Amino acid sequence: MRILLVEDTRDVGEAIARRFKAIGHSVDWETSGAAAADILDSTGYDLVILDVMLPELDGFEILRRLRRAKSPAPVLVLTARSEVEDRVEALDLGADDYLLKPFDFRELEARARVLMRRHAGEPTNIIQCGDIILDRASRSARVGRREIQLKRREISLLEILASRPGRVFSKDELLQSLFGFDEDVSPNAVELYIGRLRKKLDCAKARIVTLRGVGYQMVPDDTE
Amino acid sequence: MTRNDSSLFTRLAVLVSLVLCVGATALASAAWYYARAAADDAYDRVLKGAALQMADSLTVDGGELIVDLPASAFELLGLAERDRLFYRIVDPEGKTLTGYADLASGSDLSAVRSDPVVQNGSYSGDPVRIVVVARAFSDPALSGWAHVIVAQTTEARRALAAELTTRAVLLVLIMSVMALAGTALAIRYALQPVWRLGAALNSRDSQDLKPIEVDMPREMRPFVGSINHFMGRLERRVSQLERFIADAAHQIRTPLTALTAQVDLLGHDRLGPEARQHLERVQQRAEELARLTNQLLSHAMVIHRADAVRLAPVNLVDIARRAFRAAVPITLSPDIIVSFEADESDPRVLGDAVSLREAIVNVIDNALRHGTLSRLEVKVSSQAGNAVIEVEDDGPGIPREAWESVTQRFATPKQNGGTAGLGFSIAAEVASAHGGTLGFRERNEHGFVVVLTLPLLTGEGD
Repeated sequence: MRILLVEDTRDVGEAIARRFKAIGHSVDWETSGAAAADILDSTGYDLVILDVMLPELDGFEILRRLRRAKSPAPVLVLTARSEVEDRVEALDLGADDYLLKPFDFRELEARARVLMRRHAGEPTNIIQCGDIILDRASRSARVGRREIQLKRREISLLEILASRPGRVFSKDELLQSLFGFDEDVSPNAVELYIGRLRKKLDCAKARIVTLRGVGYQMVPDDTE
Repeated sequence: MTRNDSSLFTRLAVLVSLVLCVGATALASAAWYYARAAADDAYDRVLKGAALQMADSLTVDGGELIVDLPASAFELLGLAERDRLFYRIVDPEGKTLTGYADLASGSDLSAVRSDPVVQNGSYSGDPVRIVVVARAFSDPALSGWAHVIVAQTTEARRALAAELTTRAVLLVLIMSVMALAGTALAIRYALQPVWRLGAALNSRDSQDLKPIEVDMPREMRPFVGSINHFMGRLERRVSQLERFIADAAHQIRTPLTALTAQVDLLGHDRLGPEARQHLERVQQRAEELARLTNQLLSHAMVIHRADAVRLAPVNLVDIARRAFRAAVPITLSPDIIVSFEADESDPRVLGDAVSLREAIVNVIDNALRHGTLSRLEVKVSSQAGNAVIEVEDDGPGIPREAWESVTQRFATPKQNGGTAGLGFSIAAEVASAHGGTLGFRERNEHGFVVVLTLPLLTGEGD
């Protein structure tokens, strides 16, 4: 994926760029606001990581321009400012997420991944089964009025099971859908995720049923 | 009056009424004195006239002094109906010719030869007014001074004096009451600008530090001037503080981020076991420092905003949901169940969205760091006129005796080790700035709950 990093502190920019390059993304790194605005006019990105305090043109202004130009690129804002004087927040200006400096680099990576997946056209439609509503955009499942945060693979698993309630999925089938063919994962991983998902959806009106030796299925409690 | 000790109105009113009281007393005394003098004067004239008429009626016939009292002498005196009259006529030898022999003249008879003398005295126990008139006879058979003494009881003149005094006192009283009422009105009117100034100050927004522009009388101007001067100083202070917090935030966070970035670059994998241990400690410390910095800045910001930001109606569910998403890291262990739940009441409060979010973020962050073992629940609801945000975890909880101290700065719940820092302190600060409270619910089989309670917005608009 193609990432534009706009960060004027060398030490920070270097680390972020290195991290994202290490996991296979291509990173363009700009240190001035004006240069970043220029490049954004001509190039499309899958993610923009934007520092707020920049020389020449500040991050909020770039964000405003980007949204005015109806650019679909997701923007993750990094801010070192305190909100003592801010009347508007990054989120209100159209940022998709923000992190307060100093941040945990793993958290930055994780949030960036969520934004890029969403941008890459991952299905954002809402899936319902029993009283479970899966909402990818907020990374959560709603059970009644309760929203439960889910991890990426838990979401994928729930999506597979909930989109076709009653159908039985074998362990191998699920393993392939979750991890692909490349990754070398033990079949026990499926049990682990099923276990976690069951715990998180504890009081829902739909259950994940284990059929020994066959696989798993999602059953809504319609009869009750 | 003790209650209004320091009221300008009372002070002035008390002073003015004191002066009026003294004045009224003096005037009443004067009125009484003059009334008596006037009554005496009037009745004395009649009395003197009667005595002179009686003296005129004395004639000498054959060496004998003849008394032939004219009726007209008593007619005038009869005007004072209730008063009794006593008289005595003394011949030149000092013998009483007629009348009450025991009526004393009360003075030296020879002193009255030029002019009749009127004085006070008493007869048979009653106070009387006595007039003595002398008449000279130079008849060859009878020569010398004869005296007429007439006494009259004083009832009528006292009655007249009393009536005159009463009327005068009544007038004085009416005038005093009018003066007092006028003074009260005048003071109220004169003090009105003070009330107006107070009202103008009170109706201001807490963040409005512009000079006061209310029409004030000349006498009030120094006062308004010093208020405006003070406002100016306060505004400079506030903006200095604002700038300081903003600068500090940027100036500290940037190198701190750079530090963590560079530590991150070192990478675990390439290091030996010992170096890796050191690196981990550096990372831990840097993280602690980052958290503390954020909390200190957030604390300063929250305190500053409590005075400087105008509260507006906000939707607490939106704020809590945002706080929830900001506070729960994606990298959180997948075995922890994290949930958010808002009831259908959709609570709205009068508040500052930024501070409220900061408070909720800090409570959740605290729970994740020091409480949660495998479950964290955030619930927003309305209960009995309050919006309630509950953050529940399945950790050990905080013992009741430590509840008070954890909301103070840098208090440490012992069993957790490490410092709880400012999280609860920030939340408590925000709660009280919004007229709410930060509380705890005893650990039960379900979990330990931190409760943020805020008064619900009543009615529409702000």
